[in-house]
Amino acid sequence: MKTAALLILGAAMASGSAFAADKWDGADDLPTNPLSCDASPPAAAAAKPYDGGKVTGAADKAGKPITLVDVPKLIGIGYFNATTKGMQEAAKEIGNVKVTTDGPTEAKIDEQIKFIDNTITRGVDGVLFAANDPVAIAPVLKKALSKGIHVVGYDANAQPDAREWFVNQAEFNGIAKAMIDAMAKEAGEDKGFAIVTSTFTTPNQARWIAEMSVYAAKCHPKLKWLETVEAQEDNVLSFNQATTLINKHGDRLAGLFGMTSVATPASAEAVTKAGLCGKVAVVGLATPNAMKPYVNAGCVKSVVLWNPVDLGYAATYVMRAVVDGKLKPGATSVEAGKLGKLNVINGSEILLGSPFIFTKDNIKDFDF
Amino acid sequence: MAVLAPEIRSAAPRWLVRHETLLAGILAVALAILCVFNENFLTVDNLLNQGRLMTEVGLLALPMTFIIITGGIDLSVGSIVGLCAIILGYSWKNLGFPLPLAIVFAIGVGGVAGFVNGLMITRVRVPPLIMTIATLALYRGLAEGISQARSVRNYPEWFFFTGQGEWLGVPVQLWILLAGIVAAGIVLDRTTFGRTLYAIGNNETAARFSGLPVDRVKLIVYTLSGLAAGVSAWVLVSRVTTTRSDMGTGYELDVIAAVVLGGTSIFGGVGTIWGTVIGLVMIQLLKNGLALTGVKGDATIIVIGAVLIASTLIASSLHGRREVAS
Repeated sequence: MKTAALLILGAAMASGSAFAADKWDGADDLPTNPLSCDASPPAAAAAKPYDGGKVTGAADKAGKPITLVDVPKLIGIGYFNATTKGMQEAAKEIGNVKVTTDGPTEAKIDEQIKFIDNTITRGVDGVLFAANDPVAIAPVLKKALSKGIHVVGYDANAQPDAREWFVNQAEFNGIAKAMIDAMAKEAGEDKGFAIVTSTFTTPNQARWIAEMSVYAAKCHPKLKWLETVEAQEDNVLSFNQATTLINKHGDRLAGLFGMTSVATPASAEAVTKAGLCGKVAVVGLATPNAMKPYVNAGCVKSVVLWNPVDLGYAATYVMRAVVDGKLKPGATSVEAGKLGKLNVINGSEILLGSPFIFTKDNIKDFDF
Repeated sequence: MAVLAPEIRSAAPRWLVRHETLLAGILAVALAILCVFNENFLTVDNLLNQGRLMTEVGLLALPMTFIIITGGIDLSVGSIVGLCAIILGYSWKNLGFPLPLAIVFAIGVGGVAGFVNGLMITRVRVPPLIMTIATLALYRGLAEGISQARSVRNYPEWFFFTGQGEWLGVPVQLWILLAGIVAAGIVLDRTTFGRTLYAIGNNETAARFSGLPVDRVKLIVYTLSGLAAGVSAWVLVSRVTTTRSDMGTGYELDVIAAVVLGGTSIFGGVGTIWGTVIGLVMIQLLKNGLALTGVKGDATIIVIGAVLIASTLIASSLHGRREVAS
């Protein structure tokens, strides 16, 4: 009997590792659209008709005070603290908007759904969200729309018909190009690199990785893709995973990508602790304050990001414009306070701008 | 609390100091306070919706009550939920199973996962804590390996009936949970099987010497736990519409919190289904009530923790003699 049980367990483990042996790069299956290898601007895509959702039975609050709830992927990390800060700035500037941020303490989809569901029961004028999963979040957002609550996304999109507008910080292929180009420049064209991501199912990260792999294949074909590892949005785990990668791949590893604002500083810390500054390049998405020590020490040369404070700021302005009826299906741009005019792309997305690259020269000018 | 009625009638003199009754009292007070602060809280819509959100954890809490009464524990339930969810999606999308068969298959895999736990615990004598910590990691790993990090989506419309539909105005999954509660309650209260669970929890050696089929009963409860995780996964996928390998992460703690708050002793031998149900409802409604009142997510966790400690303290100090005696 013991043998039988051990056999079952052994078989289960063997099948698990057999699955794990396949290529497992953390990318998603959606179509990709790599940019050209040189710096020429992307060809303008054909304008798409509005494909966002429709709110039903919303009270006419044009010009009147509104209450908004913001449900980010999770609360308590620097990145979403920054978006919250931007929302508060915008709310103060506009005057008649009240916005509160509340969300799960871990980036879990069913927790996030519960928060939005409770928000609907509580009754608000609008919901701002950053989705943990674009499809899973859709039913609850559609429920909000059907109850007369306006829905605008930022940072991570949902299915288009589940929200009215989405504020896109930067296009996926733009981020991918910036990341891969920086890596090829810093690590070398024919070197190996590894990726520390949040989870393989997180939509933004999966999308970036998918775009990075096609862009790398097209423009830097000799870069060697060693491995992608998951580290949640967890500081300690990210550090441990980065350290493991360094030990496991040794000399073959010339670069690390951090795909989250948590993974990038943790990877930089792991490289610093291993005494490999200058030998292992770290390129990643992160907030400038978290990266200042490593950038100033010369261990990290480029940090790719947009300004998350601006992202939250823009989302709040977009919501106000939606409630006021100024941003309607078919619009091509929207006024967003100090950011000026933001363009509508892909039918129902509002583009914040190109990705920004922080270096030793400019990082001191940013504080978030 | 209609579910309390038989309990109260059958144990009239002692019922007042029962943990479950005290807890129901605390629950009523907490609800009254929350009700004063928010007019949206005590509405039929909201309460039914909370029932919907409670079902997945609730289904796991029923067999967990059985397991904890025997003095065991199952920490792998959250991972089994993840594994079953992935099996459901994978066997339908990638292996081409018809969806109804995929549902049955996924629940079956849950049963096998629970059976493996039970087998190792009873035959190889691995302590339940260690065995299920091991399978907590193993089953989650399998879920991630099989899914290859791909989400499964685009289920047909009829599939969402279980997780989002209604029957007679009540969410479908709440009927499933109610059926589970009644069945588990009857099994625990009125059958030999139920009494065997208490006997094992009170003194396993004595139970063995009395000729009770200890190992078989344990094997059954761990298998039941796996099956419940399978059903829970089905309801969860149907509610959330997407299968992801991180589904059910951390459920084991919610489940154990509800069971233990409901008066089931972690040392075994004591506990009721009714207590578990009250514990479950209490945690869910507190979370909901606090959220509606505008308490933030991180503060909610602190308040829930404090309430858990407080109600356990109040309950155990009021019937301290029983605790000491056992």
